[in-house]
Amino acid sequence: MTAIPMKKRRAKKRDVVFPIVNGVVLCILMFITLFPVINTVAISFNDGIDAVRGGIGLWPRQFSMEAYKSLLSDKLTYNAFGISVARTVITTLLNLLFTSMLAFALSRREYILRKLITLAVVLTMYVNAGLIPNFLLIHRTLRLSKTFWVYIIPTMFSCFNMIVIRTYILGLPEALAESARIDGANDLRIFWQIIFPLCTPVLATVALFVAVGSWNQWFDTQLYNGSKKNLYTLQYLLKMKLATSMNTTNAANTSVDALAATSASKSTPVTVRCAITVVSALPILMIYPFLQRYFVTGMVLGGVKG
Amino acid sequence: MRKLLAAILALAMLLSVTSFALAEDPITVTVFRGDPGDQPTDDNKIYKMIEEEFGIKFEIEFLAGNLDETLGTKLAGEDYPDLFDGGNSAEKLINGGALIDLMPYITEEGTPNLYNHIKDLLPQLVNENGELFIIPNYGINYNAQIQNSCNGPAFFIQKQVLEWAGYPQIKSLNEYFDVIERFIAANPTNENGAAYEGFAILCEGWRHFCLINPVQHLMGRPNDGEVIVNVNSGNWETTTFINQPYAKAYYAKLNELYNKGLINPDTFVMTYDQYIAKLSSGTVLGMFDQTWDFGTATAALETAGMYKNTFCALPLVYDESYGFGKIEEQYLNGSVPNKDRGFGISVNCEYPERMINLFENLLSDRWQKILQWGIEGEDYYVENGRMLMTTEQYNHRQDASWKMANAALTIWESAPKKQGTQDDGNAWAHSDQPENYFNLMSDYDKAFLSAYGYKKPADFFNPPCALAPYGEAWQIDKTPIQDDYDKFNLIQDQWLPKIIMSADQAALDANWDAFIAEINPYCEVYTNYMQAEVLKLVEQATR
Amino acid sequence: MLMSVPVLLYVMLFNYYPLWGWRYAFQNLDLSTIKKGADWIGLDNFKWLFNERLFWLGFRNTLAMSLINLVFGTVSSILLAILLNEVRNRTFKRTVQTVTYLPHFLSMVIVVGMAQNMFTTDGPVNRILMTTGLIDEPIWWLGRGQYFWWLVGIINVWKEIGWNSIIYISTMTSIDPTLYEAAAIDGAGRFQRILNVTLPGIKSTFVVLLIMNIGHLMEAGFEIQYLLGNKQVYDFSQTLDVFVLEFGIQNNKYGRAIAAGMFKSVVGIFLLFGANFVAKKLDEETLL
Repeated sequence: MTAIPMKKRRAKKRDVVFPIVNGVVLCILMFITLFPVINTVAISFNDGIDAVRGGIGLWPRQFSMEAYKSLLSDKLTYNAFGISVARTVITTLLNLLFTSMLAFALSRREYILRKLITLAVVLTMYVNAGLIPNFLLIHRTLRLSKTFWVYIIPTMFSCFNMIVIRTYILGLPEALAESARIDGANDLRIFWQIIFPLCTPVLATVALFVAVGSWNQWFDTQLYNGSKKNLYTLQYLLKMKLATSMNTTNAANTSVDALAATSASKSTPVTVRCAITVVSALPILMIYPFLQRYFVTGMVLGGVKG
Repeated sequence: MRKLLAAILALAMLLSVTSFALAEDPITVTVFRGDPGDQPTDDNKIYKMIEEEFGIKFEIEFLAGNLDETLGTKLAGEDYPDLFDGGNSAEKLINGGALIDLMPYITEEGTPNLYNHIKDLLPQLVNENGELFIIPNYGINYNAQIQNSCNGPAFFIQKQVLEWAGYPQIKSLNEYFDVIERFIAANPTNENGAAYEGFAILCEGWRHFCLINPVQHLMGRPNDGEVIVNVNSGNWETTTFINQPYAKAYYAKLNELYNKGLINPDTFVMTYDQYIAKLSSGTVLGMFDQTWDFGTATAALETAGMYKNTFCALPLVYDESYGFGKIEEQYLNGSVPNKDRGFGISVNCEYPERMINLFENLLSDRWQKILQWGIEGEDYYVENGRMLMTTEQYNHRQDASWKMANAALTIWESAPKKQGTQDDGNAWAHSDQPENYFNLMSDYDKAFLSAYGYKKPADFFNPPCALAPYGEAWQIDKTPIQDDYDKFNLIQDQWLPKIIMSADQAALDANWDAFIAEINPYCEVYTNYMQAEVLKLVEQATR
Repeated sequence: MLMSVPVLLYVMLFNYYPLWGWRYAFQNLDLSTIKKGADWIGLDNFKWLFNERLFWLGFRNTLAMSLINLVFGTVSSILLAILLNEVRNRTFKRTVQTVTYLPHFLSMVIVVGMAQNMFTTDGPVNRILMTTGLIDEPIWWLGRGQYFWWLVGIINVWKEIGWNSIIYISTMTSIDPTLYEAAAIDGAGRFQRILNVTLPGIKSTFVVLLIMNIGHLMEAGFEIQYLLGNKQVYDFSQTLDVFVLEFGIQNNKYGRAIAAGMFKSVVGIFLLFGANFVAKKLDEETLL
């Protein structure tokens, strides 16, 4: 008789303990991940020469905005920001469209060439021709150098993301598409009206992957658009500024020159590096909280019912 | 009406004058520079002057990533700019056939400035076929070479150590480590309680010269990289030094210091940033390095007013107790033409003559002053015939954002330039001008020098010797033996710290023998290659 | 089905057409021969690689570090996703998610730089271990090869835990909430609900990612080893990619670099098929 209430009480007690333990664990994790991030921000707001000495914690030792001033005073920075936003938005939309299209096609079990095509696409993740053949294709065959499109066209499809979406679609109830087919809907309609809306969480995830990847890319600018300063992306420009800042202090031949160089610019590679991290990451960081609204449990099946 | 007419006339005249000034059609020249850099602003003062005078505008691309990778793609795609500076891998451009031979364009009558600039060095600069692809961007001196301080390799010591010891003359390795040891014994920590570190050795990446290079200097030679060349013997005998007994003596000395606790094991794994942070905190008493390599640390120390923690360069040698005879120091060397570094003109360039003409004109005295000093009255002033800068003007020339708008940095850095002394006695480089140098020197440094009875930091050193006919051997291209050269370096990087950290004499000997066994085959390959190259260069230079 | 055609053409052009460049693996390609066309040298590039001790050292280190990374990276990110899934407070959940994914955006240079300061002989890690009495002498973390793989593992997990968990978090949203309700009614505890509902819900994603990642075991990354490594730990830090950079690209031996790339591709594909085969045998979700 007494056994059942005991069990119930224990279950109840555990339900109080677990969330607390869980919360504590997650808070510790947050602290561990947050500390270096705050440290980076603190260094970015510190005086450059002072920061060289190291040992800065969670707050700047000698507050200074010089590292940011040297980045934001350049007019090119704003143009580069625009280019980066444009490439990220366009790439994300196109990539999402093409990738999910193929994912849908490859998720239909009745598709005859499904296995062969999946194999062909999956293998692209493991074969790489190397830098030079890829460069020659884009530069010489397709003549995309010195254009904005070189940021878009080579990155319109992603195999990894295709697999992620396909796996998700395969997890959805097959009956949905079936019933639509019986209603006389064609493939395109099934894709647009039924599958696409159901995939919101996975599409949001993939959008995040593509957007972050596109935003962080700098190598394509270096390869194809290095001589077109109006097509510089933010990441490329910032990478260049960091390299330059490291170079200037190295190039200063005498100690007198080095002193003049550092006291004139008041920023050193140590602070510039951190300021660059903040400037380049901040815009893209905004995306995640925005996309999180699509990660709500039960949303998918709720959608089916409704 | 008349006013309008006059205005139109004036406008027409103005237009004709400007079009006359543009002797040639305006063109845009594409430029690649094998180093990172900031894009100049659209209304940059000096680039505007170049555009007005020569009708040439520049579209500059800088290096952002890996140089070899970038040059590889450019060569594969035949995607060459008009002016091509391949940075430290420029020989790849030459071997890849990306550049044109400049010799047909350089004549005594047509381009006197360029001709006179290189005529004495021509045998050393051209290749076996008599072709010249790149005019050196640095190292060609006019009149006297100016040496205010040691900008290259030396042993360094905190000035406070010398001050504490009563400004002794430190000439030998033993005296150097002795004074550091005595200082630490008397002052184990600084005023903040941080422990002093006796000697730091930076080993990271290409900066491993701090670990590897000292031995040649201790033997009385300037910097030849990894070999010692016997310049007094007629046959220019070239040998690697790292596998010699006189190298073992140095690392055995370091081992002694290590076991006394004067060297921290972290020194062998620290990054450049950590090294600079350590030097900047003022706890490292000594190291072997090159002055330009730790400029940030010097600046940090001076800005914080920690002048006594800044470093004095010393030319050390082995004393006679080592048994290598009496050695005279020779750290400073004659100025070295920066062979195959700077602008080449690519095979894709449509106007090679105009490019040569540009270099020719920029090498004139007027343009050299503009490029190196700026505009008189704005960027410098002249007093009693001396070209001088206020501190503000001097600092401007080191300020990145000022330079973006007011200096033609890329052109100045990559094009041929005059160095040394002008005919009127002023220095060609503003940073060489003695007045500028001393005006910026701290009072502490002035007092420190006068305690030694010296006028400039270079007085600690013997004057530069004449440059050997082969130049400096570290400049020799090692691409043909690259695999062996990489292994040669790797073995040194792996073993030398182990040797320094040996627990006792027996372990030291065992480690040294193992090191020698492993490195000797590579030393042989390297020695043979370098010997042949040195002889080739000597023969060319004396042709 | 027609709508897959343009994508396929795209893949053919951008991924398969450049593979023509693999012919360079059989040539003595360097920068001076790149335009004229290099000489055919048969399998010399491969022979050189397979006879080079440093190549196999790089192979070993690559596999070891990717395995550590795969195991700990996957386990930690799934664990985080599960813990987050149990959080009821939506604001707290979102905050944790956002904060843990921040390090993904720090550059490796910054992250490794901090790690290097943490692990010096007189750094915080040694000080904590000494004061808690776990060790008597400071450990030379950065100079002893046996610690290197684990340091890389720790840094990678720390940097990517939040980022890698995103995909599992989004997959958990597709789990039918009625399953949890049903489990609760059956009297299942929290642990059992995780075991019987959450884990099966992400299983297919887990298996597919695992197969893909096993195929990627030849990619241990490059930056972190290059930055954190030094010559004292070289025998443990040097990966295939570092080897290719040092003895291929920087040495002007492009044929070698491409031969090494081909080798990596072939091994990767073998691993991929192997993993896929095992999954099929176990009757699990497969990739192909």
